[in-house]
Amino acid sequence: MFLQDAPPDTSSYMIAGYVVFFLVTAIYLFSFFVRSHNLKQDLNALENMKEESAPPPAREETKAAAPKPKAKSTASKAKSKPRQAKKKVTKK
Amino acid sequence: MQPKSTTLKILDIVSVLLLAVSTYLALIYAPEEATMGQVQRVFYFHIATAWVGMLGFLAAAVAGIVYLRAQNPKWDIVEVAAVEISLVFFFITIVLGSIWARPVWNTWWTWDPRLTTAAITELIYIAYFMLREGIEDPDRRARFGAVYTLVGSLSVPITFFSIRLFRTIHPVVIGSADPSATGTFDMTGGMQVAFFFALFAFTVIFIDLFWNRIRMGNLAAKVEQLKLKVMH
Amino acid sequence: MVTKSARLSKSVTERSTSPNLFKATLAIAWKDLTAEYRSRELFSAMLVFSLLVILIFNFALELDIKTRQSVTSGVIWVTFAFAGTLGLNRSMAVEKDRGCLDGLLLAPVDRAAIYFGKVISNLAFMLIVEIVVLPVYSFLYSINLFNPGLLAVILLGSIGYIAVGTLLASMAVQTRTRDVLLPILLFPVAIPVLIAAVKASGGFLNGDEFSMILPWINLLIVYDIIFVAIAFMVFDYVVEE
Repeated sequence: MFLQDAPPDTSSYMIAGYVVFFLVTAIYLFSFFVRSHNLKQDLNALENMKEESAPPPAREETKAAAPKPKAKSTASKAKSKPRQAKKKVTKK
Repeated sequence: MQPKSTTLKILDIVSVLLLAVSTYLALIYAPEEATMGQVQRVFYFHIATAWVGMLGFLAAAVAGIVYLRAQNPKWDIVEVAAVEISLVFFFITIVLGSIWARPVWNTWWTWDPRLTTAAITELIYIAYFMLREGIEDPDRRARFGAVYTLVGSLSVPITFFSIRLFRTIHPVVIGSADPSATGTFDMTGGMQVAFFFALFAFTVIFIDLFWNRIRMGNLAAKVEQLKLKVMH
Repeated sequence: MVTKSARLSKSVTERSTSPNLFKATLAIAWKDLTAEYRSRELFSAMLVFSLLVILIFNFALELDIKTRQSVTSGVIWVTFAFAGTLGLNRSMAVEKDRGCLDGLLLAPVDRAAIYFGKVISNLAFMLIVEIVVLPVYSFLYSINLFNPGLLAVILLGSIGYIAVGTLLASMAVQTRTRDVLLPILLFPVAIPVLIAAVKASGGFLNGDEFSMILPWINLLIVYDIIFVAIAFMVFDYVVEE
């Protein structure tokens, strides 16, 4: 079968082989990039969600922080009230 | 996610260059083989991709065993990366081998030990991914994956051996079924250069892909963790 | 049902007082066998399925006298493999659905005892089916299958198949796609067993020289030892909660 002098023309098979190699590799790399890209997007989205869902504790902090001025203001009110009362008393 | 390290970036570029050089050596530099003609050039990449498949197979087996001993999720990521690369490259190997076999052995497929074992390995890998697909708990998924990798990596060599035994005891029906009989050739200097360079290039490509895939696995694990955190 | 669970809990307490691996293994196997003896659902399903497979092969392969000689070993092993998968899947699924697996895991017995117990009961189901199928096959196709060598090969092949199958079935039943997953997981890794068993059975049926068959029997023994050992070592990871 292979005793002939000139090698048989099998270049079409060779081309097919290399086309398949580069095609499959390209598809794999493409899927690689797509998956990697999607994961990065997911990560960003999740981090945003986390930041959005993070505010509740932050709000709580502001709430926790808010009472202080309130307390202060009430305290000042309470302070001021006696004064007013004093004033009123003095007025009377 | 940290940006790619410089080493990995350099490795990416080196891999692409090596692939280009290797393609040049295989397609142009190496002399044409006398009996098979041009199709013999497929051989360089056929063996090189098979080599990558083997490396992935071994890496997966080792990672599976280490995972079972250490129970560290990072070995699960390594295992998945190795299996996936091995799956892709064994697929290329089988297709290239088939294309080579058509003009040389006059058939697309022979039930030769190597071909059959590669095909069965592919089936095991597909089963591996189907198994992982069906499990939601990441810890259990990793454990089952490692167990199945271990079972597979023990069964594949036995499969290879048993098919070889099958062929040596069984009379060879088609004269060309044995690759050592037909389709062998002596490698001349130029061929050897192309062959060994392809092996070297694909080893580097394997390391590069493996590294990148592990990075992606880490990213995926991070996303999964974050998802769980956000959901609850 | 109530009596069953009561019996189970009773046996669990019994086992806790004697945490001997061998005794525990037998207790688990015995539990399966008595349950099966009462319901016979698994056995009848496997048996009817096997007979149907043989029937289909008859029409699919036109089993005339000449082909029979060469394909018998293949046909019986395909039948056993399919029936085995059916049995393995069902036996583990029942265990999972009725919560018996959790009960067994809570029981203070070695996990290895659970594995070996399940192997013994699964093996028993498969062997019983084989013992019924072989004479039926002999009768239907007038081939004498009563050859001690063949029976030994069937035993060795079934051990290997069940050893891997029990491990993989206990994984498969814990997944979402459990009904279809077991054969997909099991067949590619059980190929060496099937090749060796088919070749050795064929050798005995054709009356080949023993030296021709010996490599296959060795292969079966090696496979059995490797996979029983491996399954024993990794079974913990498969049932861990």
